[in-house]
Parts: sequence; C-alpha cells; structure tokens
Amino acid sequence: MDDQTESYLMLLLADGNLPTGSFVASSGLESYIKHGFFGSSSSSSPQPVASASALVNQQVVDFIQDSLNSFAHSALPFVSDAHKVMEELSASIVDGIDEDTRASRRDTALQRLKSLDDLYHVMTLNDPLRRASKSQGVALLTLYSKGFSKPRLARPEQQLRDEDEHIHKFVETFKTQIRREETHGHLPVCWGILTAALGLGLERSQYLNLFLQARSLLSAAIRLNTVGPYAAQQILLHSVKDIVDNCMSCKNIKTGLRWENPESEVQDVAESEECVASTWPLGEILAARHDLQHSRIFNS
Amino acid sequence: MENNRPQGDAGNGHIQLDLHGREAIFSKLSYQYPLKLLSPRIAEQGVAIAYVLTYGGGLVSGDRINLHVDVGSSTSLVMLTQGSTKVFKHRPGVRLANSYTDSNPTSTTTSTIQRMLATVYENAFLILLPDPVTCFASASYSQFQTFRLHRGASAVLLDWFTSGRITRGEQWQFSRYYSLNEIWDAGTRMARDSLLLDSEDSQRTLKERLGIYSCYAALFLCGPKTKHMIQSLDEEYQEISVYQHASPPDLIWSLSHIDGEGRVVRIAGKETELVKLWLKDHLKGLEDVVGLDVYSKTFI
Repeated sequence: MDDQTESYLMLLLADGNLPTGSFVASSGLESYIKHGFFGSSSSSSPQPVASASALVNQQVVDFIQDSLNSFAHSALPFVSDAHKVMEELSASIVDGIDEDTRASRRDTALQRLKSLDDLYHVMTLNDPLRRASKSQGVALLTLYSKGFSKPRLARPEQQLRDEDEHIHKFVETFKTQIRREETHGHLPVCWGILTAALGLGLERSQYLNLFLQARSLLSAAIRLNTVGPYAAQQILLHSVKDIVDNCMSCKNIKTGLRWENPESEVQDVAESEECVASTWPLGEILAARHDLQHSRIFNS
Repeated sequence: MENNRPQGDAGNGHIQLDLHGREAIFSKLSYQYPLKLLSPRIAEQGVAIAYVLTYGGGLVSGDRINLHVDVGSSTSLVMLTQGSTKVFKHRPGVRLANSYTDSNPTSTTTSTIQRMLATVYENAFLILLPDPVTCFASASYSQFQTFRLHRGASAVLLDWFTSGRITRGEQWQFSRYYSLNEIWDAGTRMARDSLLLDSEDSQRTLKERLGIYSCYAALFLCGPKTKHMIQSLDEEYQEISVYQHASPPDLIWSLSHIDGEGRVVRIAGKETELVKLWLKDHLKGLEDVVGLDVYSKTFI
C-alpha cells in the first residue's frame, strides 16, 4: 500500500466518532479520580505553588503516562502479533493456490488469533477492563464489515481483488466466532486484525493504537469535567506526542506464544528485558474497582 | 547468562508431600545452598508446613532458586517464609571491590531469579503465604511461579512486595522487579499475571508511579476449598459503594474473576502492616482447613 493511501486510512481511523473513540471507556480514570487521587497534592507536582488548573493538567498528563505505559506493555504486543498473523495470511493466500491449501492456511491463522485472544483474556484479570475490551473489539470488526467494505454504486469503479475478498471473508468468520462465543474478541487482537485487513502497516497500526488510547483518556477527562476541551487539545498537542513516542519502544515486544502448541508455557522471558506485563499495579486496582462507584458515567 | 558462582544444583529444591494413612508426610524435602527448607512438626492431620528460607535471610544478584513442589492427593501444604525476602544488589558484608559481580561487565544486568513449579494433585490444597519481597536499592529481581492444579485441587497464592528498606529511607529505589504467576487448571491456562516494575521504562520514577502506597499484593484463590472464602469476599466487595474521596484511602483492594470459579484480589496499602492485617483477617477461613494452630503461624 502506498504512503498516501496509508495516510488517508490513518485519517479515517482517527475519527473520534468511530468505536475507536472514547464514549464508553475511561480505562480506570473515572475510578482513579473518584478515589481521591486527583484531590491530594500529588507528590509528582513539580512546583508546590502551581495553580489549581496547572496541577490538574499535570495530573491528567501523569495518568496518561502511567496508564499508557502499562497499555503499551500489556495490550500492544497483542496488536502486533495479531497484525502479523493477518499479514502472513494475506501473503499466503494469493492467487495460484488451490482452495484446500487456502482453507488450511485460513484455519491456521484463525487458530493463532484465537490463541492470542485466549492469552489476552487470561492476562487481563480485571472485570471492567475485560468487559470493555470485548465490547469494543467486536465493534471494531463490525465497523470493518459495515463501514469499510466497498460501497454499492450504480457504476462500480473496480472489482474487489480476490485477495481482498478472501481477507474480508476471513474477518467475517472471526466475527461470527466471537458472536458464537467461541473466542473472546478482545480489543487489541481485533485492532490488529482490522488494521492489517485494511492494509495499514504494522508500525502505523501500533502508533495509532497508542495515540487513540491516549486520546480516549483525554476525552474521558473532558467528559468527567476534569479538563476543558481546549486544555485537552493543548495536552494532546504538547504532552501526548512524547508519551506516545516513548511507548513506541514497546513495539517489538511479542506475546511469546508458541504457535505449534499454544497450550504450552509461553516462551520463557527469564532474562529478557522485554515481556508482556502490566506496569502499573495502582492503576490496575483502581480500574478493577470501577464498578464499585456509587454513580458513574463510564462503563470502565 | 551464568556467572562464576558454584553452579549445578545450587539453589535447587524439591518438596513432595504425600498422604500416608491420615498423615501428610514429606516424601522429599531436599535443598541446596542458598536455599533452605524447614518443616516443623504439626498436629493437624493431612496438613504440613514448609518454610522456604535462604541463608543470610536474603538473595543477591546472580542467585538462582529453583523450587519444585508436589502437593500429593488430598494433602494440604502451607508454604511460609520467615521475614520478608530481601533482595540485595550485593551480598551484605562483601566489599564492592572484592565482589565477583564488580569485575563482571554484565553485573548491572545480572538479576536474582526465583522459580517455582508447583503441582497440586487431586483434592490437594496449596497455601502459599510468604512474607513480601523487599528489593533494596539497585536490586533486580525476577520471580516465575507456575501452578498446575489437578481435578478438585485448590490453591491460595499470595504474591506481594514492598517499596524497599524504609528504615533506611530507601523507597522505590530498586532497579527492576518482575513477577509472573501462571495458574493451570487441568491443562487449561486460567490466569497469567505478569507484573513489571522497571525504573527505566518510563519518564516517571517508580516512586511517582506507585509511591502513594508502599505495599502491593496479589492474591489468587482457586478450587473447592476456597469456596467459602470467595463467597464472603464477594459479599463484602459487593457491599462497597464508593463516593467521591477527598484523598486516597489508606488501603484499597479489588476483586476480579478468574474463569471458572477463581478470584484474584489486589491490595495496596500505605503500610505493609495494613495489608498484612487485611490478609490475615480475610483469609481466616483457612482456619477451617488447616486448623487454628497452623493458621496462627501465618502473617506474624
């Protein structure tokens, strides 16, 4: 896919009205604030005499940093691996192979995606987060089949390529399996599937995933009346870019799942510096306590 | 990455508990320096205690502990430590200039590693209640624990750590802490809990990220013998209703589901003692299984 087409795709996918935008999930921010973590004078406040709004802005930036760092270590590797499974599939079902071979390659890819989905599920030991991840995941695939398929036109410009047709059917199959509860359909896996199916390269898919997660936290902060829309925009432009750039250092972390035998132990990460992990146990507890709030705006 | 300390069996240990008549007897209790295992005599039928200790009361960089645990059918094994597991960068008392690690260029990446593989056989019960891990300044620690539960087996597994040697004003000054807990039930992976605290993977220090609390715990409960404890935890948790806090509470805890009937509880407290009291109180149900006398040896 050429650069311009990829950029165009990025514009589409960054739309705040898509299920990629944040209108249901605060990823623990609402609970964090409710528990008084913005109330106390934070130890991280750089100047004790900072104005109240500067302090709140700083606390939002700090939350995004800690939350996104954990996200990049725990969810991004599943985006990466799912994206790779899809890219391999696209490359392996090109024209000139018989239908049996194609079917067996589809099955292999399906099996791998399910293994990734299972692994993400057992690593996400947090009820509200699991719930949100599953509902957003399936929403993404619905978006793909309903919003990103070819429009019906009186004068179709071109036929769908065979390869695209196969990928489209494949995504439909995965979606059906989610509906039948044969797999979970977690958000990071579905994001990898969606972006790869659309032809967006791995690195851009990862970058966009991190950016959208950060922006969704800011949207949640606006909706919670913690920061105003202008302040959020300032933070997005001036603070979030560095945070996202830093989190891209996690782009090479792999889930370590062994394809031949996903039921075996995940590849040993003993001496390895990079592994799938949550990095912010404080945020984890508060996100899990989301449902305990007496009143709440968000689902997670 | 091996170093030039005595290798081979160093740090290996094997615990095997079996039922002979009504007595739980250690068929195996072997260990190699720096690991030490002790088993006090107790009166409770079918129950045994194993203390997991290290010489000098701590571990240094390069230490490797490999513990195999087999909890035989219908036995209950309580695993305890005596005092927190202290992780030093260097062996206390060894002058840095003479330390073997000092001349080793890779010394900064040589971590302390503890591994445990525990198999809990039919209707057996593993109760793992160590003291928390305390990493001293610059220490690097990794812990890998795999629990394989057979049919009808139960487990209560505690994994916790503190911010450091508070008495010396050392808080959140360790270099890296990694902990992995994997729980398998009859061949299916039910939970993979992976936590990484790396002082260098964010622009925010560990203290900024986590400093509001100084002790974090994760507690896993699985299997029929934990049913009553889970029930009362569920009830207490559902009763919680969070209104806006002015400042963070001294202790918070969350409860989430592990597929099947398990739960994971996460706790954070401003002081280790608060977390300890919470645990002792909420695990009181263990008295029914292991007896008053044995339970009184925990959380002291």
